[in-house]
Amino acid sequence: MATLTGRLATTGDKPPPERGLPLGARLRRAVLPVYTGLVVAYLFLPIAVMIAFGFNDPEGRFNYAWEGFTLEHWQNIFNRFPALNEAIKVSLIVATISTLVATTLGTLIGLALTRYEFRGRGPLNVLIFLPIATPEIVLGASLLAMFASLAVTRGLVTILIAHIMFNISYVVITIRARLAGYNRTLEEAAMDLGADEFTTFRKVTFPLIFPGILAAALLAFALSIDDFVITQFTAGRTSTFPLWVYGASRIGIPPQVNVMGSLIFFIALVGISAWILLARRNLSTAPPTRVDA
Amino acid sequence: MSGWLRRHRGLVPYLFLLPGGLWLIAFFLVPVLTMASVSLQEGSLGTGYRMTFNFGIFPEVISGSSTQLIRSLLFGLIVTALTLLIGYPMAYTIAFRGGRYKSILLLLVILPFFTSFIIRTISWQFILADNGFLLGTLKSFGWLDQSFRLLATPVAVISGITYNFLPFVVLPLYVALEKIDHRLIEAATDLYASRLQAFLRVTLPLSLPGVFAASLLAFIPAVGDYINAELLGSRNETMIGNVIQRQFLVSNDYPQASALSLILMIGLLISVLLYTRLLRGQELTV
Amino acid sequence: MSEEERDRLERAIARAFRPQRRLSRRNFLRQAGKGGAYAAGALSLPAILAACGIGPATTSPAASTAASAGQSAAATPSPVGGGEPSGTLIFANWELYIDPGPNDDPQRSPTLAGFREETGIETTYSENILDNQSFFANIQPDLEAGNPPGYDIIVMTDWMIGNMIRLGYLERIDVARDVPNFGDHAADKYKNPSYDPDNLHSVPWQSGITGIAYNPALVDEEITSMAQLLDPAMIEKYSGQIGMFSEMRDSMTFALLYNGVDPTQATMADVEAAQQVLLAQAPHVRDYYGNEYTDPFSRSNLAITMAWSGDVFQLQFDNPDLRFVVPEEGAVLWVDNMCIPKGAEHPNDALAMMNYVYQPAVAAQMTEWINYICPVPEAQDIILQHADEAESAEDREYLEAVANSPLVFPTDDMLSRLHSYKVLDEDEERQWNDLFDEVVQG
Repeated sequence: MATLTGRLATTGDKPPPERGLPLGARLRRAVLPVYTGLVVAYLFLPIAVMIAFGFNDPEGRFNYAWEGFTLEHWQNIFNRFPALNEAIKVSLIVATISTLVATTLGTLIGLALTRYEFRGRGPLNVLIFLPIATPEIVLGASLLAMFASLAVTRGLVTILIAHIMFNISYVVITIRARLAGYNRTLEEAAMDLGADEFTTFRKVTFPLIFPGILAAALLAFALSIDDFVITQFTAGRTSTFPLWVYGASRIGIPPQVNVMGSLIFFIALVGISAWILLARRNLSTAPPTRVDA
Repeated sequence: MSGWLRRHRGLVPYLFLLPGGLWLIAFFLVPVLTMASVSLQEGSLGTGYRMTFNFGIFPEVISGSSTQLIRSLLFGLIVTALTLLIGYPMAYTIAFRGGRYKSILLLLVILPFFTSFIIRTISWQFILADNGFLLGTLKSFGWLDQSFRLLATPVAVISGITYNFLPFVVLPLYVALEKIDHRLIEAATDLYASRLQAFLRVTLPLSLPGVFAASLLAFIPAVGDYINAELLGSRNETMIGNVIQRQFLVSNDYPQASALSLILMIGLLISVLLYTRLLRGQELTV
Repeated sequence: MSEEERDRLERAIARAFRPQRRLSRRNFLRQAGKGGAYAAGALSLPAILAACGIGPATTSPAASTAASAGQSAAATPSPVGGGEPSGTLIFANWELYIDPGPNDDPQRSPTLAGFREETGIETTYSENILDNQSFFANIQPDLEAGNPPGYDIIVMTDWMIGNMIRLGYLERIDVARDVPNFGDHAADKYKNPSYDPDNLHSVPWQSGITGIAYNPALVDEEITSMAQLLDPAMIEKYSGQIGMFSEMRDSMTFALLYNGVDPTQATMADVEAAQQVLLAQAPHVRDYYGNEYTDPFSRSNLAITMAWSGDVFQLQFDNPDLRFVVPEEGAVLWVDNMCIPKGAEHPNDALAMMNYVYQPAVAAQMTEWINYICPVPEAQDIILQHADEAESAEDREYLEAVANSPLVFPTDDMLSRLHSYKVLDEDEERQWNDLFDEVVQG
């Protein structure tokens, strides 16, 4: 029982065997998974509507009522709207870079907060918390004012700056829940065994806090891809996907937007699934670190 | 290198903090403080703005927008409660019963974010339409009154905000639940606790940092949200975010808009501090 | 400030909706400015900072003329023009506001091509203007600092023109000397408008009507009066299915008309009475919309709503039963105008463009596509002529519909009932906004 836990949290525990349980217990055990399925369905309901309307064939410009099935919007997806392609590219670039940077910066802050003693903790907490409390419109407008006064042209860089800024806070808040009560015994053990700080971090700390980092990164990525208000103020002439859609919605979102939205969705689905599968394969081929009790 | 670190151990936290901290100071604090100073100015676009230290603007905007402020707080509380209620069991399931599918489930939670929220909200408009496939069907069976509607009501707005922030809540909850040492739960059940008791006495308290983080991530942006109120609500659901936006963009009354924003920020700060006290000394960010 | 140029989306959308046949269906264009509530603003924060001494040092240009209430004293004293065009023109416009060329590319617009042929001027055309407020906020810092604004000719809605004149952001033009076609061919209604007396700064591009649209499937009676939109007693049975605009000028003007007040002469007392009307109506209003009223309207969530003529023209393709009316008390005629921002680098070319589009043949060509109200009455006959010459029955039907539609060529009777917004100075604007905010924010 007093063994090193060594259990990689990412692979989780095995649920207790279900066979052999009476029906009542099995039904009870099914409640949570069913519930989860329902919530997932709820989360995806608007997405399903979006995908469905990508196949609609409206007479006029408005895509509000179902009028007929067609595949024509799915043909020529990339030729139809060069501006949309550009906007999506920008969104992906911004999201990727801002996630990487913000997660890094935020994790560092999180580590500092949970592992070290230092002065200025209070003000730092307030500083981190405030961007989330500030209305987005204030964040955006104040940044715009600053950029304008410094004669900085608004574009990709300013969007990045803004996204990194608000993502840092979200990352810190998400990750602290993971780092709280973090047990440093393992690290100390590693260092006792002669590892220096960096190796300890790389081989012990990081893998253990990785789930938290991953969750924070996912959140940051999603926030960045979906951000509208702040981007609106800091984008200048550049367009991102939400901005493009917003502009489209003022005229009447054509089915092509649904198609694009669906496409992005599927690509994200495939991409992240692939990444997760790959990551899991790497983990499972790594030398075993589990010590089964 | 590591030797240098050892000698300058005290500096390490500051080194960690520096990049992120500087970023926030440069790109958050400075612009926002500038904005705050605007709230004390008076004037207009045509005549220019002058700093007059007009502190009277704060009582003015509070009384002028008290309805919307209170409404926003109320909506925020409801949304937080709803997202926690809906999200906690989900996070629990992923963390404890997810097994191999943990990452995939998390992915599913966050995936809807990869489509623009405008598309999602417009889809909700379709789903909740007065005579759409949902309500229309119910009405045709006579289960609902013909004049019943969901859109342009508080229900639609709260639902919209809840929907948007559910992933924000599930993620930190998952993170906190996931790291709970299962042996503690096993120990509890070994000591004759029922599963429910084990949950209430072991899991739930241990997950509180996650609950704390999750409720913050829901409450704060919910109070300041304006898009859902705009797209799914009517004038009776005007939230403080709508007021601020209108002041900013339509009335171009920057002092008022800035003052309101400050009020909102400070109000949220106070709420969170009180909440922190309530949860007995959890630091804001641990 | 952001959000300019944001969307070739609309061009793209236009592309999407252009069917293979050239003239069959139209994407109507959006007057996005009517619902500017979504606009990105932060207009004068740079100006504020400047006033605080941060950033490019400048003082507010209108400070010296702040005393003037709506006069154009802040504009440059002498008009631009009178010289030779340089051969380059930078043109910013709204989406779907020019007849596009192949593949729905406005850069290859027949109008622009014809312009090049006739004058030799090469136009760079961008559809950056999403709405008045955001575009204004975009160029305001440059205009404030006296920098070249980056555009030679832009298209703004009438009230924004009034504001920009007041702030000294527009060049003066000499219409008689440099835009003679305007005097020769424009309808009288568009000459000497209240927001730009004597057309000292602008000439119209296209115009449109804000009126009442309703869905006969949901509304038993015929709508002919403002009262059927604004009187609580009459709309009670449609409670929750009434739509109004969040754009202050539109809704307030409607209420003023309902009270029998000429909007351009409205006093503060009139405005307060108008606000009372709106407050009384508010419990029955579903929401105050920007451009997106078309959504609930087509979903049958709205029975009666304020609407724009071009939208309904387009909505009728999906639902031919929808109706658009100019109530007997009156409605609003808004005008989008070409103007030259202060410091534009190619003013002579801009003037050449203004002159070019007032040729009836060119106006007809544009209106055939744009479908909003044409300022050149002679274009109607030309479109009918095109209809006669049309190759396909579909094209002929379409062109005839355009030429005969009162939404594109309003009858004199309609025109007599159409009013412009009142030109507001800063104080008035604030007061009107404050009053309207009470209506819109519950």
